[in-house]
Amino acid sequence: MIADISHYLSILSTAIFMLTFSLVLVLDRSASHATLLIKRSYSHAFILFLISFLLYVYLALTDNFSVSYIAQHSNSLLPNFYKVTSIWSAHEGSMFLWIVFLSLWGFAFNLHNDSNLNVKNLSIGIISIIIVGFQLFLLVTSNPFEIVLPFAPENGADINPVLQDPALAIHPPTLYLGYVGFVIPFAYSLAFLINGNKSLDWEKKVKSWSVMAWVFLTIGISLGSWWAYYELGWGGYWFWDPVENVALMPWLAATAFIHSLSVASKSNVLRIWNLLLSIIVFSLSLFGAFIVRSGIIDSIHSFANDPQRGMYLLAFIAIILFVSLGLFISRFSMFDSSKNIKSLSKESFISLNNIFFGVLIFSTMMGITYPLIYELLYNQKISVGAPFYNAIYAPITILATIMLVASIDSKWGRPIDVKRGFSMLYISLAISLIGLITIGYFVGNMPFIIMLSIFMGLVIIFRYLMLIISNIVHKKYTNTPSALAHAGLGLLILSISVNSILSSEKVFNMKPNEIREFQNITIQFSELELLNKSNHDSIRATFSLSTEGKQFYLSPEKRKYFARGQITSETAIKIMPLKDIYLTIGEQLDNGQWVINVQLNYFIRFIWLSAAMMALSGLIIIKNIIRRRV
Amino acid sequence: MKIHRKKRLINVLLLSLLSGAGILMVLYALNSNLDYFFTPSELLAEEVPSNRRVKVGGMVQEGSVRREDSIISFTITDYSKTIDVSYTGIVPDLFKEGSGVVVLGYLNDGKVDAEKVLAKHDENYMPPALQDK
Repeated sequence: MIADISHYLSILSTAIFMLTFSLVLVLDRSASHATLLIKRSYSHAFILFLISFLLYVYLALTDNFSVSYIAQHSNSLLPNFYKVTSIWSAHEGSMFLWIVFLSLWGFAFNLHNDSNLNVKNLSIGIISIIIVGFQLFLLVTSNPFEIVLPFAPENGADINPVLQDPALAIHPPTLYLGYVGFVIPFAYSLAFLINGNKSLDWEKKVKSWSVMAWVFLTIGISLGSWWAYYELGWGGYWFWDPVENVALMPWLAATAFIHSLSVASKSNVLRIWNLLLSIIVFSLSLFGAFIVRSGIIDSIHSFANDPQRGMYLLAFIAIILFVSLGLFISRFSMFDSSKNIKSLSKESFISLNNIFFGVLIFSTMMGITYPLIYELLYNQKISVGAPFYNAIYAPITILATIMLVASIDSKWGRPIDVKRGFSMLYISLAISLIGLITIGYFVGNMPFIIMLSIFMGLVIIFRYLMLIISNIVHKKYTNTPSALAHAGLGLLILSISVNSILSSEKVFNMKPNEIREFQNITIQFSELELLNKSNHDSIRATFSLSTEGKQFYLSPEKRKYFARGQITSETAIKIMPLKDIYLTIGEQLDNGQWVINVQLNYFIRFIWLSAAMMALSGLIIIKNIIRRRV
Repeated sequence: MKIHRKKRLINVLLLSLLSGAGILMVLYALNSNLDYFFTPSELLAEEVPSNRRVKVGGMVQEGSVRREDSIISFTITDYSKTIDVSYTGIVPDLFKEGSGVVVLGYLNDGKVDAEKVLAKHDENYMPPALQDK
């Protein structure tokens, strides 16, 4: 009954979003009564859809297994928290949530008043028709409301145990919020193009929306990386899996977009580029949905394969790209492009880095699609892995960091004054060199590219530190979010490099009470217990470790879940200032020994810390924009 | 006007040249870092150099898993040909005899030295190449 109401409300909401779009088409968009009608129509459609979703959450909480999707992915033994998160543990529910967030961004945008009624209404119309496209996708190809006939099953099939985890429960929603948030700059820039008044400062209007979406994307990606690290037991933070790459591409594009938005507002160049980027960012987000949902590419994350879904999404993305790029080209003459960027000015460095972002996105796209093309051409299955991405990302990132450091001493609209002293740059370079030598002393030989990365990471951090100190001394303004985010980038490059050379692992076969040594760590297998929990049995091994005069216990587990019979490993991690000691237990051998894997992962916490610094800087930007408006 | 157009033409040419060179470099990087995916029969039919990283997919043959110290060895089968694999480390939780597996490594004397062993996070997984057989 409630499932039917929820289903019905979704259909009704689709109809009203369609109505909103039609109202935008037929009404006089500059009139205030029309604006009010469009605004109300959108809000009603959204609220109906939200109620539909909340009813669905209620269905999941009350174990309504007559709904086929809930029966397949939830279980009455699950804690309430995971009953709710089971909704987005598979395709249909994920899509449902995705569209709720898409319309939520539109709703927030709809509430906010814009002085240009025409552009505001056009944006709402564009957002509405995109929502309709996705709602039809949900209702036609991936209906979460299907009822099990004639009798509901006694109990649900349970959520995959590796997904029963707090980080993973919030990782998809955060990521989706990021992906779909770019609908606002996309719709607004299209509305700007249709409206055709080039004096409109659309870049300023979409900045806070874009930064907000970027913050969600940043947090979402890092949460996924963090979860994979401690849950999957491989000890890595990034695997260059296609599904990770399709999240990285919109992130890179959005980062480029945010930078070029500020260039446009400071010196009125890159305006065409911004329009193109707003289209690219949103298209890459949709492309991500296509890759994940169609299962066209073999990935460890692949959801169910369904060609119909893939075809629908591909057609939908093609229409959106065709219309928006067509509009973009037809309005090309709106801008005069005679205004050139002065070389060695701040905007010239940012523009160059925009190109580097473009190269990274293009290469990643090639890496994702090349296996498809290759199989079509040569009938040979291939895959593209970490070596390719490392070969591209390392040198390009180093080039980009050089531009970044150069841009700190530059000014908007005029070239760097070469005669000016660069004492702060020289000091940062000197400190970084000392830092590199110190690290080199502990590490020993390292490849040139790693050495260069460590050096550039240090240079960025120290250059921004010097900048902040000198601004405080001279009582000058510091662009705090910029310094924070870029220092975060420096830290990210530094930690990834150090992690890649210092981290090591070893596999031991051990019986209880045996002792092994690994890199100054003494590992003693102290105890083995069998535990019976509410939804799983578990074998827990406890190890006593001692290193650097400290002693502590680590207890990795192996679990067998009842509902699906699935076996999972629980890692045990000791977090130390510079490294993690990461322990996993494998299977038991015939002679009674257990296979134990010990990893030392250096600087791994700093990788997520740097992502947190970037996300925080985004929040500061939004806070500043809101404070200025009030 | 003429100078302006000439300058623009040079810019466009320069830009296309640079992008062309960039695309070629990306393609080069791609081709030198590919992992070929084989079933055991395909792998035995091809001449694969030992410095080439390959991916081999199939099922773990029943009764083939053996452990010696920290080295695990097993046989991958596609139900017509088989290939032996050895690996140092912990195999994934879903790794078991009779289940699907994909290994990444180098071919050495007709055996694969695996760097990575992947078992899908799905009980019903079959390597795509085996599905149609």
